[in-house]
Amino acid sequence: MTEFKKIEENLKTEATRLLKEGLVTVVLAYGKGFDENHPMPYAAKTIADVENIVFNEYCNYNMARYLVRYPQGTKIAIAVKAADSRAVIQLIQEEKVKRENLVILGIPVQGMKNPKTGEIIDSKTTCGMYNPVLYDLLLGEEVHGAKSASPYDVLAEYEKMDKEARWEFWKKEFDKCIRCYACRKACPMCYCDPCFIDQSKPKWADKAPQSPGNMMYHLTRFHHLAGRCIDCGECSRACPVDIPLYLFHKKVAKECEEMFNQAAGMSIEDKPVLVDFRVEDSDKILE
Amino acid sequence: MSFEPKILGIACNWCTYTGADLAGTTRLKYPQNLRVVRVMCSSRINPSFIFRAFQLGADGVLVGGCHPGDCHYNTGNLYARRRLATTKKILEFAGFEPGRLRVEWISASEGNKFAEVVAEFTAQIRNLGPQAKLKIQE
Repeated sequence: MTEFKKIEENLKTEATRLLKEGLVTVVLAYGKGFDENHPMPYAAKTIADVENIVFNEYCNYNMARYLVRYPQGTKIAIAVKAADSRAVIQLIQEEKVKRENLVILGIPVQGMKNPKTGEIIDSKTTCGMYNPVLYDLLLGEEVHGAKSASPYDVLAEYEKMDKEARWEFWKKEFDKCIRCYACRKACPMCYCDPCFIDQSKPKWADKAPQSPGNMMYHLTRFHHLAGRCIDCGECSRACPVDIPLYLFHKKVAKECEEMFNQAAGMSIEDKPVLVDFRVEDSDKILE
Repeated sequence: MSFEPKILGIACNWCTYTGADLAGTTRLKYPQNLRVVRVMCSSRINPSFIFRAFQLGADGVLVGGCHPGDCHYNTGNLYARRRLATTKKILEFAGFEPGRLRVEWISASEGNKFAEVVAEFTAQIRNLGPQAKLKIQE
């Protein structure tokens, strides 16, 4: 039995137990899609639903995305992988969900695949962690060793680029954007209702998929996720035109970590860096 | 025609705006390129204001607030400091000149400093030339 199959079995057993004992009203996990390679996010609400749960190497969606869709106080069990658990922590920090209402089913994994390409996801495009940070139950064997050097290594190439070249690079990337907002839909941290881009009073940016509006949308979104992005890489995988959004998010996360000495979603005791301050913050960061 | 920079100044009501007032009442000269908008606190500034200002043709944005520790609301400028530092880093990584955004702490009694900062910043923007990257082309 492969590791994935074992996790699936564990997931089903735990989901059945939690639902039967009435500890939770919904289990957020993965369900059958139109074929093996395309599982879907799935919410099991009854014991009969549990048999639809699947887990395989294509289950890369961040289920923390769906936590905020339930009213506060709903008891939820959620299946999380490494980055997803950080998203859950971040949502707890932001008081979107309460720790006591959650049963976190941790899944340590390695070698997830992207359903779009069928290839193994490069750990450079994600946070590079394999074990969940916070969990109540671990459903598989902990992955030892083998953490990629640093999640920010991939940035070096872009950081040493000339400013003009970098501008050209991003302009080209953002000009591809068709404003489908898949990045926003896939992101566990994008829960504003309405999103700034959907507001018409004030109208923050043009809604047409053209250069100025795209630039405004993406730059502001990066800003809104500063110090909150947990680097799951879902935005770039959801993107139909393959904009490497993860690069920018990583860069902002790196800067925030350097300036404020705190990475997003590592402890439920922390506060998100931009709604916090220290008197001893240096003015140097403004230079 | 020579290039005259358009600079948006966003000034906090309690310190920088009053400082600008002082610069005026003491008849200090500073370049006329600055258009000042008054906000109640530097933490009122949504980073989108800055992005939008650049899109609508500002060549530079100068943000003024109280000195850290002197905020009228005690902590507003400490939040603003973190936020605007992040804004700067974002502009920089996008390939935009981060020098076009400047944050200064100017208190109500620093009319001199206000005039100096505006003069210096205007000169700096003049050096950088017109801002064309984010500006919406008609």
